[in-house]
Amino acid sequence: MEDFIKDFARKVEDCLENLPAEEIAKAINIIQACYERDGRIYIFGNGGSLAIATHWVSDINKTIFSHHLDHPGRRFQAIRLPSTESEITAWANDVGYDMVFAGPLKNYLQETDVIIAISSSGNSENIVKAAQFAKEQNVPIIGLSGFDGGKLNELSDAKILVKTEKGEYEVVESAHGTIMHLIVKYFKNYFDHLVEHRAAK
Amino acid sequence: MIVSRAPMRVSFVGGGTDLPDFYKRYPGRVISTSIDKFVHVVLNRTPLIDKISARYNIAETVDYPSELKHTRIKAALLDLEITKGLEIGSFATLPQSTGMGSSSSFSVALIKALYAYQGKRIGKREVAEAASRLEIELVGEPIGKQDQYAAAFGGFNIFQFNADGTVDVKPILLDYKKSFDFQNHILVFFTGVTRSASSVLTEQKSNIDKKFETLKEMSDSVPEFEARLLKGDIKGLGGMLHDGWVKKKTLSSNVSNSVIDGLYEAGMANGAWGGKVLGAGGGGCVMFVVPPEKRAAVHSELIKKAAGLDLAGAKEIPIGFIQSGVEIVHNSDKNISL
Repeated sequence: MEDFIKDFARKVEDCLENLPAEEIAKAINIIQACYERDGRIYIFGNGGSLAIATHWVSDINKTIFSHHLDHPGRRFQAIRLPSTESEITAWANDVGYDMVFAGPLKNYLQETDVIIAISSSGNSENIVKAAQFAKEQNVPIIGLSGFDGGKLNELSDAKILVKTEKGEYEVVESAHGTIMHLIVKYFKNYFDHLVEHRAAK
Repeated sequence: MIVSRAPMRVSFVGGGTDLPDFYKRYPGRVISTSIDKFVHVVLNRTPLIDKISARYNIAETVDYPSELKHTRIKAALLDLEITKGLEIGSFATLPQSTGMGSSSSFSVALIKALYAYQGKRIGKREVAEAASRLEIELVGEPIGKQDQYAAAFGGFNIFQFNADGTVDVKPILLDYKKSFDFQNHILVFFTGVTRSASSVLTEQKSNIDKKFETLKEMSDSVPEFEARLLKGDIKGLGGMLHDGWVKKKTLSSNVSNSVIDGLYEAGMANGAWGGKVLGAGGGGCVMFVVPPEKRAAVHSELIKKAAGLDLAGAKEIPIGFIQSGVEIVHNSDKNISL
């Protein structure tokens, strides 16, 4: 049992040691610019990745500002896609699962927005379709992928690829969780600094 | 209605190496950042009025774009074959000719808005290229390309101008702490004197042959500036700005003058680590790198010196670094075809 535990931990550690720092930094800059222009961040994925997306939305909308909930300044606006179960089932049932993200995205997406797409394989058809739509609209794409990155990594402006062997979903999703928290923590510190810096002036 | 905006910029080192007479022989490099001062362009579709209106510091209404006085709007409309039924307005946070690249920010915002008006969403690089073409080829201004790229891309970047006319864009991935720290050391002082870049650059262009080695050194200093920036060596950055400014002054007789020299010396004598004139020179703003504890002293000496030089309108302009480039901030135009 211990061998299994250590072996898994080692695989995750290996991914964390080799995080694509420059691409994560690019993602931070993309989110920063989106915040400055008051744009929205749409986050989505399938299964475990959808859980990461939901967690991320909550942290961006609330946790980042936790120390300053009464501060009147601008906040981030993150939205999990689709935002209702009814939309997921309506698109999946009536049109097909490949449209559950691209479909709702067409209602919302403005040029001032950003999308964060999460897919371990990088090849889920519904994720690729949504990323292609964002690309056509000239909206920046932050792509979190695993394995060899797939089509999502090719389409992304910030190519956050956690390289693993094919099928290592648990390892990839663990690393994606860390990247999600890393970016949240960066902006939490940034916002604390911003508020305190302004208060000091 | 469509509203676009593009930020102004401050450039640190390498200015002047973005002119083709230089970069056709040796790669030009400039390091700059976008700042929290913007040029907004507003387009209003007037389908029932067969005119073109342009509103800037004057208002023009004409039957054909070719009758416009505003050279850039005229050239852009003719190029995009927009002939009637449009009002164009421009609004900026700062006056023109302060050396923060506002005229190219205008072109960049204009291009972005006009493409949106034609139903096209174009990316940052395409906007930068189209704005450079508008200003340099279509209007024939003797300027470089650094401002169009800075306004389109946004954030801290190194732009490399290659002999084949292409531009490499390298974002500098600076964390917020270093960025704020550097920003807190920057003091920008407007001389109250405005000048157009073209007048300074025309002489500078004719001197490129003679000053080739100096320009080469300026281009080559960009990677060192980046390294110091990433390390947070702000004093070193100040020193590099000073060295760059001393070199830049030799490029053309009208880069500096007694007003600029007077203000620059006052800043340096009171504790600034370095500085330069923003933009082509001859007027505009002087930027200093000042340790925070010396800031108040430098500020009050500059005000005193400006009063002594009879500079009406001279004042400090607070600036903040931003990540944004050109963007459409409002577009209700698509609703027309509901």
